[in-house]
Amino acid sequence: MATGEKLKETTQDTSLGISDVLRKNVPIFLSYFVVLMLFVVGIAKSTGFGSTANIRFLAEQATFIGVIGLGQTLIIITGGIDLSVPWTFTGAAVLTSILANGDASKLPGVLLEVLGLAIVVGLLNGVGVAYAGVPPIIMTLGMSGCVEGLMLVYTHGGISSYPPAALGNWILDTTAGMPNLLWLWVVVLLIGIVILNFTTLGRSLYAIGTNRDAARFAGINVRHMLVIPYVISAIGGAAGGVLLMGYTGQAYLTMGDPYLFASAAAVAVGGASILGGNGHYIGTVAGAFVLTLLNALLILFNLGVGYLDIAYGVVLVAAAYIATQKLSRR
Amino acid sequence: MSTDLDKAREATKQDAGGARGRVRMMRHIDPVVVLPYIYVVVLGLALYLKYPGLVTGPGRIDIRAMAVLPLALIAFGQTFAIATRGVDLSVGGIVSATTAILATHGSEKGFSLVLLIVILLALGILSGLVTGFLVAHTLLQPFIITLAMWSIWDGIAFIVLPVEGGTAPSELLRVLLGSVLGIPKSVIGVAILFLVWLWLRNTRFVVDVKAIGSDEARARLVGVPIAWRKIQVYVFTGFFAVLAGIYLTATTNSGAPNAGDQFILNSIACVIIGGASMYGGTGSVASSVIGAIVLLIIPDLVFAFNLTSFWSVFFEGFLLLVAVTISSLVITVRQNRVV
Repeated sequence: MATGEKLKETTQDTSLGISDVLRKNVPIFLSYFVVLMLFVVGIAKSTGFGSTANIRFLAEQATFIGVIGLGQTLIIITGGIDLSVPWTFTGAAVLTSILANGDASKLPGVLLEVLGLAIVVGLLNGVGVAYAGVPPIIMTLGMSGCVEGLMLVYTHGGISSYPPAALGNWILDTTAGMPNLLWLWVVVLLIGIVILNFTTLGRSLYAIGTNRDAARFAGINVRHMLVIPYVISAIGGAAGGVLLMGYTGQAYLTMGDPYLFASAAAVAVGGASILGGNGHYIGTVAGAFVLTLLNALLILFNLGVGYLDIAYGVVLVAAAYIATQKLSRR
Repeated sequence: MSTDLDKAREATKQDAGGARGRVRMMRHIDPVVVLPYIYVVVLGLALYLKYPGLVTGPGRIDIRAMAVLPLALIAFGQTFAIATRGVDLSVGGIVSATTAILATHGSEKGFSLVLLIVILLALGILSGLVTGFLVAHTLLQPFIITLAMWSIWDGIAFIVLPVEGGTAPSELLRVLLGSVLGIPKSVIGVAILFLVWLWLRNTRFVVDVKAIGSDEARARLVGVPIAWRKIQVYVFTGFFAVLAGIYLTATTNSGAPNAGDQFILNSIACVIIGGASMYGGTGSVASSVIGAIVLLIIPDLVFAFNLTSFWSVFFEGFLLLVAVTISSLVITVRQNRVV
C-alpha cells in the first residue's frame, strides 16, 4: 500500500518533469525545426545539398560558431553580451600562426600561451563587468579595441606566417567516421550541458540573469560567478580562431569579423532571451546550424556576403523578438 | 607642476560655472563633468611639450577639426542614446553605407547630388524610426536591435561597394572643405554643433531624455511621452550618422564598406570620456565633443612618441576602459556616501 502510493507519487513527479521540460523548451524545438526547414529548402534547390559530403561540410562550418557560442550563451543567460569575441578569435589565430610558424613541435607550447592570454582577456572582461560595474557592452567593446590595437602593433597590419600543417591535418582527420573538429564540438556540447544542468555555476547564471538582487539574497556570490562566463567566452573565442586557422590553413586580421553577429544571432535563434535568465546551449547549437544553412543557401541562390549580413541582422531581431514574446506571455 | 596648476585652474573655472548652474538647475556639479576638460588639458599639454608643431603648426586646427567633426556628429546622437540607458551600435553600419553609396553614385551623371543626400538622410531617419520603434515597443534591449541594424547596414554597404574605393563628388568637396572668411569650415562645423547643443540643452526633449534614463517608471508617471522620445533619440542617431558619413566621404575622398566600424567604439568612448554615466540620466553634447577632441589627441600623441600608428587603436580602447572605470568608481563612492 505504502509502496504503491510512493510509486504513484514518483511516476507523477517524472511525468510532470517531462512535460515541464517539453513546455519550457518550445523555442529550442522550434529552432531545430527551422534547421530542418532550411535544409529541405536547400535540397529542393539542389539535390547535392543533402549529400553526406555537404552535410559534413555544413557541420564543420557550424562548429566555429558553435564553439564560440558556448561562452556567448552563458553570458547572454546572465543578461550580458561579449563584443570582444572577434578579436580574441583573430588574436588567438594570428598569435598561434606567428609563434608556431609552421613548426608543429612548437604547437603545444604556443597553444598553452595563447590559452593563458585568452584567460587574461576573459578575466579582465569579467572583473570589469562583475567588480567594477562596467556594462558588458562597453567593457567588452573597450577590450576588443585593446586587443585589436595590440594585434595590429604586433603584426604591423599583416601576417606572412602559416600555421603548422599538422594542426589542419588533425582537425580534418576522422575518428570513428567523424572529423576530429566535430568531435571537439561534441565535447563542447557536453561541457555546455554539464555546466547548465548539473552545476551550481549553471543554476547561478540563470538566477543572476533572472534577477541579480534576488540571486544575491539567495546567497549566490554574484560577482564571483559573473566572471566565469567571460573567461569561458574568451577561451571559446580563442579555440574557435585556432580551429578556423587550422581548417583554412591561414590566419588573417579580419577572420573574426563575421563571428560577432554570428555568435549573438546563434544564441538568439536558439531561443535564449536577450533579457537573460533563460536559454540553453542546445538551442545555440541549432542556432549555429541555422546561420550556417542561411549562409549556404544564400550562396546557392548566388547572393554574396552583403546579403548574409542583412540576413543575420533580420534573423537576429526576429529571433530575439520571438524569444521575448514567449517570455512576456508566461 | 604646470599640469597641476592647469588642473586647478580648470577646476576653479568649472566651480564658477557650477555655482551658477547650481542656482539655476538646483543640482550638484559632478566631479565627472570636470574630467573631460582635465583630459584635454593633460593630453594636449603632453602633446604640446613633446611636439609643439602638432598643436600650433599651420593648418593644425583645420586638420584636427576635420577629424573631430564626423566623430562629434555621431557622438551627438550617441549622447542621447546613452542618456536614455540605450546605445546605438548601428551608427557604424550607417556611416559605412553612406560613404559607400555616396562614393559610388555621387558622381554619376544625371543624378542630382542634392537628391542623393536627401535620400541618404531619409534612409538614416527611416533606420532610426525602425530602431526607435523596436526599442520603444518591444522588450528587446537597444544593443541587440542596433547590433542587428549594424549588420543590415554593413550588408548594404558591402553590396554597394565591396572594397574601399570610389571618389567623392567634386561638388561635395567644394562645399564641405576649405574655409570661409579665413575660418576653416571644419571649425565652423564643430562650432555649429556647440551652438545647436546650447539651444537644445534646455528643451523639453533633452529634459525628457534624461528623465527616461534616470528613472523610466517615474518619467512615465509624470507624463513623459517615453515611446515617442525613444523613437526621436534613434532618429537623431541615424540622422547624425548619415551626416558624419557624408562628411567622412568628403575628407577621405572615398568610400569603404567598413569605414564606420571605428566610430562605434569611439562614439561611445566620446560620450563616456565626456563624463556621461553609462547607466543613463546624464550627458551633455558639449562634453561629448570635448571627449571627441580628447580621443583624437591620441593618434597625434602616438605619432609624437614615435610609436606605430597601430598603437592608437589600443589606446582608444584603453582610454574608454579607463574613463568608464573612473566614472563607475565615482558612482560607487557617491553611492557609499549616500548610504
